[in-house]
Amino acid sequence: MSDFRTSQNEAHPNKTNTLMTGIILMLILFVTIQIWFLYGALNNALEDNFFFAVITFIGSFLFALASFWLLRYLPEPLKDKPGKKK
Amino acid sequence: MEQEDPEKIPNWKSDFPIQSKKASHVNRREFAKFLGLLSGALALSNGGIVIKAIAFPSKPLEGEHFVCHENDVPVGKMFQFSIEGNKVVPYMLIHLENTEWRAFEQKCTHLSCAVRYIDDTKRIECPCHHGYFDADTGEVLQGPPPRPLPQLEVVNKEGKIYVKEMKS
Ligand code: FES
Repeated sequence: MSDFRTSQNEAHPNKTNTLMTGIILMLILFVTIQIWFLYGALNNALEDNFFFAVITFIGSFLFALASFWLLRYLPEPLKDKPGKKK
Repeated sequence: MEQEDPEKIPNWKSDFPIQSKKASHVNRREFAKFLGLLSGALALSNGGIVIKAIAFPSKPLEGEHFVCHENDVPVGKMFQFSIEGNKVVPYMLIHLENTEWRAFEQKCTHLSCAVRYIDDTKRIECPCHHGYFDADTGEVLQGPPPRPLPQLEVVNKEGKIYVKEMKS
């Protein structure tokens, strides 16, 4: 059966390249937002703002899940063609 | 002696089929995975803050604490003391006017530098980034500190100065 993975692996290298770049950019965006949340939570913890800490934790957790889920779509590494001498 | 075939891959190479170039090369896949890991770690540390807030809530100061005698601190001077709870918190007592006393936490709300009272201007100064606080209320007058200084209530009992938690 042909699924996403198969067609992805058969795609032209340029496509995997774009996919890779897109995934990495999204991951960087997620991590940046998480750092922002963490920074805010650390500041607010000093003020005993418990609600803020909980909300940022939930947000950060969702972002972590999203980034794990994104990793599923990482293209497979290009296989060396058998018989080709390096 | 048998002549070695230079084209033949030596045995040790086929036993360890990993090139040193490949072993040290962080490719984009690994970078992406690392970012995923980082993302998880950040979520965990954010959870750590929540757990810490639940496990160690900041308690108000209990009871009255003796600081010093009235005569020890002349008008316009400050006196440093600390109160030991589960951690030692530095405070300062300010003799503003004859019957006016103030007690503030001596940690700047910006980056925790020790603040000091300047009698000429009746302000509390943070020397680190020139933040200024009102000596009367602890409000921020100027500079980077985001919050007013935490304040304690001062009670004068026949010449003895005590501090206790501020009633809001
Ligand atoms: S630490 Fe006090 S102003 Fe920055």
